[in-house]
Amino acid sequence: MDTNTKLLKKNAFRVTKVRGVTASRVRVPGGHLKAEYLSLLQNIAETYGNGTVHITNRQGFEIPGIAFANMPAVNELLQPIIEGLGINQQESGKGYSAAGTRNVVACVGNRVCPFACYDTTAFAQRIEKAIFPNDLHFKIALTGCPNDCAKVRMHDFGIMGMTEPQYNKDRCVNCGACVKACERKSVGILSEVNYKVERYADKCIGCGECVLACPVGAWTRGEQKLYRLTLLGRSGKKNPRLGEDFIKWVDEDSIIKIILNTYGYVQQYIDPNAPGGKEHIGYIVDRTGFEEFKKWALKDVQLPETAEVYTPVYWKGVKY
Amino acid sequence: MTHNEYKPFLAEIKDVIKHTDKEYTFRLTYEGAVKPGQFFEVSIPKYGEAPISVCGINDGTVDLTIRRVGKVTNEIFAHRAGDRLFLRGPYGNGFDVGSYKNKELVIVAGGTGFSPVRGVVEYFARHTQDIKGLTLIVGFKTPADILFREDFAVWKDKMQLILTVDQAEEGSSYQVGLVTDYIPKLSLKNAETAEAIVVGPPVMIHFTTLALLKAGFREENIWVSMERKMCCGIGKCGHCKVNDTYICLDGPVFNFTKSRELID
Amino acid sequence: MGFFLAKDGVNAVLERWRDDYLIYAPVRMAGGGPYSDTDSIQYGQIHRVEEIVYDQKSRYSFKEILLPLSQTLFFFTEDQIKEAEELKKGAIIFLRSCDLHAVKRLDQVYLQNGFEDYYYQRLRKRVKFVLMGCQKAFENCFCVDMQTNIIDTYDASLEENGDGYVMDNHCAEWESLLSKYSLRQLDVRPSHVTETNVHVEIPPGVSIDVAKSKMWDEYDGRCINCGRCNFVCPTCTCFTMQDIFYTDNGKVGERRRVAASCMVDGYTDVAGGGSYRKKNGERMRFKVLHKVYDFKKRFGYHMCVGCGRCDDICPEYISFSHCINKLGSAVKEVDGNDA
Ligand SMILES: Cc1cc2nc3c(=O)[nH]c(=O)nc-3n(C[C@H](O)[C@H](O)[C@H](O)COP(=O)(O)OP(=O)(O)OC[C@H]3O[C@@H](n4cnc5c(N)ncnc54)[C@H](O)[C@@H]3O)c2cc1C
Ligand code: HEM
Ligand code: HEM
Ligand code: SF4
Ligand code: SF4
Ligand code: SF4
Ligand code: SF4
Ligand code: SF4
Ligand code: FES
Repeated sequence: MDTNTKLLKKNAFRVTKVRGVTASRVRVPGGHLKAEYLSLLQNIAETYGNGTVHITNRQGFEIPGIAFANMPAVNELLQPIIEGLGINQQESGKGYSAAGTRNVVACVGNRVCPFACYDTTAFAQRIEKAIFPNDLHFKIALTGCPNDCAKVRMHDFGIMGMTEPQYNKDRCVNCGACVKACERKSVGILSEVNYKVERYADKCIGCGECVLACPVGAWTRGEQKLYRLTLLGRSGKKNPRLGEDFIKWVDEDSIIKIILNTYGYVQQYIDPNAPGGKEHIGYIVDRTGFEEFKKWALKDVQLPETAEVYTPVYWKGVKY
Repeated sequence: MTHNEYKPFLAEIKDVIKHTDKEYTFRLTYEGAVKPGQFFEVSIPKYGEAPISVCGINDGTVDLTIRRVGKVTNEIFAHRAGDRLFLRGPYGNGFDVGSYKNKELVIVAGGTGFSPVRGVVEYFARHTQDIKGLTLIVGFKTPADILFREDFAVWKDKMQLILTVDQAEEGSSYQVGLVTDYIPKLSLKNAETAEAIVVGPPVMIHFTTLALLKAGFREENIWVSMERKMCCGIGKCGHCKVNDTYICLDGPVFNFTKSRELID
Repeated sequence: MGFFLAKDGVNAVLERWRDDYLIYAPVRMAGGGPYSDTDSIQYGQIHRVEEIVYDQKSRYSFKEILLPLSQTLFFFTEDQIKEAEELKKGAIIFLRSCDLHAVKRLDQVYLQNGFEDYYYQRLRKRVKFVLMGCQKAFENCFCVDMQTNIIDTYDASLEENGDGYVMDNHCAEWESLLSKYSLRQLDVRPSHVTETNVHVEIPPGVSIDVAKSKMWDEYDGRCINCGRCNFVCPTCTCFTMQDIFYTDNGKVGERRRVAASCMVDGYTDVAGGGSYRKKNGERMRFKVLHKVYDFKKRFGYHMCVGCGRCDDICPEYISFSHCINKLGSAVKEVDGNDA
């Protein structure tokens, strides 16, 4: 059997431990999809696979047990899913046109969760539109609030929803609920002064617990959608480490621009001999120094006034 | 135009009598009608207000005995004779002295709780002919806590006075024990027609009234004065309300037949 | 007199009213809800009729206009006490039948029950009410059972009807204005509901003895004493006084009052660390009995008007109406105890 495994992998199939048998990898940006696609997946698994489906760590599906010969047929059947989920595609009916840039992961967000500061899936889809397809190894995750249920600090780009709480002192009745909530569930930066509440804004992490706690609506959410952007977390061999804060109170447009800029930076500095053409961005930054990365990442980015850039950024983690 | 009842008026401090470090009596100018058991809101702009019972009523002045416990009372204690305090009131029903005339009266009080009823004692100390017999049982924690020593010295000949402390060093001249211990020992002509007034903390009121009932007092002849948190004194803020009763408006003095229904 | 007005006509009337009044109605506060991307329907000033939200119940009630959540009573300088000034204009408040019934409860406490409240009455006497007819009951409404579904003590009513609005006017001084801006006169009877999803039955034998029932115990664990049920209630009247020094100038300050809730910690705290009703179940009982028992004992009618806002807002899904409906068996339970 002669098969170009490079092309197979690029087409979002996997080389498995069984010769001649592959698995199809289905990406679901933002991790939320119409239930109708599940029956399409079922059909593929039962028609061409072994009747099972694996739910992946990155919120996709992997359909194992597909004979190499059936890849074109599977790609045909994937077409309505690819279209329905709005995945960028070069040629209709031919499946995915890249797999290096991984599925954009998101927690359930404000479609369901009361803590979420935004629609995580919608933002994930917007990012997917901007960056896919691409062969470079980028991992991006979004989480609704600083609880970080999506564990975004394990990704190259972690996007954490923030709410800038707005205080209307004329509504406050000094019940103390927000002070207690911030103290017990968050960073404890609210205090009572003259029977009203003061917020030590520098330390606020924008979790919105104060807004949720207030019984009279004295705290409301800021109009602007703002985020914390964390950088270059990774698991894996050599030096697993958590992503560190890069910018606090940053907006959506800037985040997308920074990610796109980083593709340019990686193309410039990636180790040409990297196995499979893939290298964790963090190792590249370790090589070039953070300042060089920052120069590329922030090129032509118009940060909003609220944004606070952390610099320099240091990573810790386990070194082997 | 409605009168702004929240707006306080000025009263001059004529005298400050220090009982202990924490308890002073402030003698303030006041001309209007007022009854023992009523209270004023003592008001210190920028600090707040505190409801304080009328402890003594004199010609042109009222006495307020205040215990220093917090923000407002601390600030009141920084005032001296010649300074002025703001007041509003008097509020509440107060004691009806007339209803005890020509009866046997037993008054049981604990600590500063004595304040609201002091005016009643003083009245009958001055008008001994108006009462058939007056017994005053007052309890304090320790001898150092005893207030109104001068009063007791004057009154001891005009009524049966039992001054007790919860604890005292051995050999001291004070009677040691709870006020309730003395109720069974009361020598009354007729407990059935005698009247009783009980003031003090809720637990003390509870056990004292039980002892009085056991001693043969009739429920409708027992009177208590109650305290609750108060933010207005005039039936608006709701803090003092117990069931359908506003302590500030309908009390703070209640007949026991009413007060026993007041379940918080 | 009743009138039919086109939308422009109503807006012209509002425009004229605004010369003398601030106009308040339930409006949509975009993004004002506690969760992200949710709105809040609450009272705000309006300019045009389109801003009034008819198809949803307001989260907080009109009460906030008559009794602001936080209201300054006096300003203090070093040696002077200055009364807070009153609003330059009167107010027109758009509200529903249950809420207009609630005004009677507020008046009961603030104009009677002891001294007349100076701050309340000086605004109250300059307030006019416009009834928003209800075409259907919302979730959790139980006005019919509380007999608050109909009212005629409004100054005017306003609701949509076909391609315009109908208004019934009771206010003589508005008569000529309305004649001028209306398209025609007609007989108008504001809509009201006659059926609700939720029903309550307040048993006749309630007394303070139900305090002894076990029914309150479940709320010890369920209720988080947040006070939302009181803050949204159009008939809750409690407040707490606060005096402060301004932080930037320690010589001046103010005295204000803020809304209070008998469910929230601190409500009964007295000197010496004492407090009453420590358990949330006891607070629940105190609130419920105030609404459907002891207010009536004192004033002759129930405090609760059945608006259902307390049910709408409780984060722990504690239903006040459901609780009322448990009173019947609680009465039997405590009667049984005595027997
Ligand atoms: C009818 C009545 C009569 C009273 N008579 C007297 C008296 O004769 N002498 C006397 O010393 N004290 C009296 N008190 C108690 C006195 O009002 C409080 O000690 C005082 O308000 C505390 O105020 P503060 O600002 O110094 O203390 P804070 O610092 O405000 O607080 C100390 C504690 O007092 C409680 N407290 C605050 N405001 C009130 C309030 N308005 N009512 C009750 N507790 C409150 C607080 O919750 C806190 O637990 C009376 C209370 C009432 C209700
Ligand atoms: C007791 C003496 C000193 C203490 C406690 C101290 C402490 C610190 C700390 C806490 C930082 C911040 C590190 C960070 O950003 O994470 C810092 C940074 C720095 N210190 Fe010191 N320092 C001391 C003496 C000195 C001396 C003597 C020098 C030079 C002669 C010096 C040069 C610097 C420099 C250049 C940085 C910035 C490094 C950077 O850019 O991150 N320090 N110091
Ligand atoms: C007891 C002596 C010293 C103490 C306690 C001290 C403490 C600190 C601290 C806490 C910081 C970190 C500020 C931050 O978090 O950004 C700092 C930074 C720094 N210190 Fe010191 N320091 C001391 C002496 C010195 C001396 C002697 C020098 C130089 C000769 C020095 C140079 C610096 C420099 C350059 C920085 C970095 C400023 C930056 O972040 O850009 N320090 N020092
Ligand atoms: S947003 Fe979170 S951290 Fe900021 S004040 Fe509110 S509770 Fe505290
Ligand atoms: S929770 Fe709301 S009302 Fe309570 S203190 Fe905080 S801001 Fe004020
Ligand atoms: S009943 Fe509900 S709304 Fe009311 S205090 Fe309890 S938890 Fe809060
Ligand atoms: S108790 Fe509940 S239903 Fe009744 S008036 Fe208040 S908020 Fe409305
Ligand atoms: S229910 Fe509670 S907060 Fe509401 S008026 Fe009654 S006592 Fe006040
Ligand atoms: S003290 Fe305000 S209602 Fe009694």
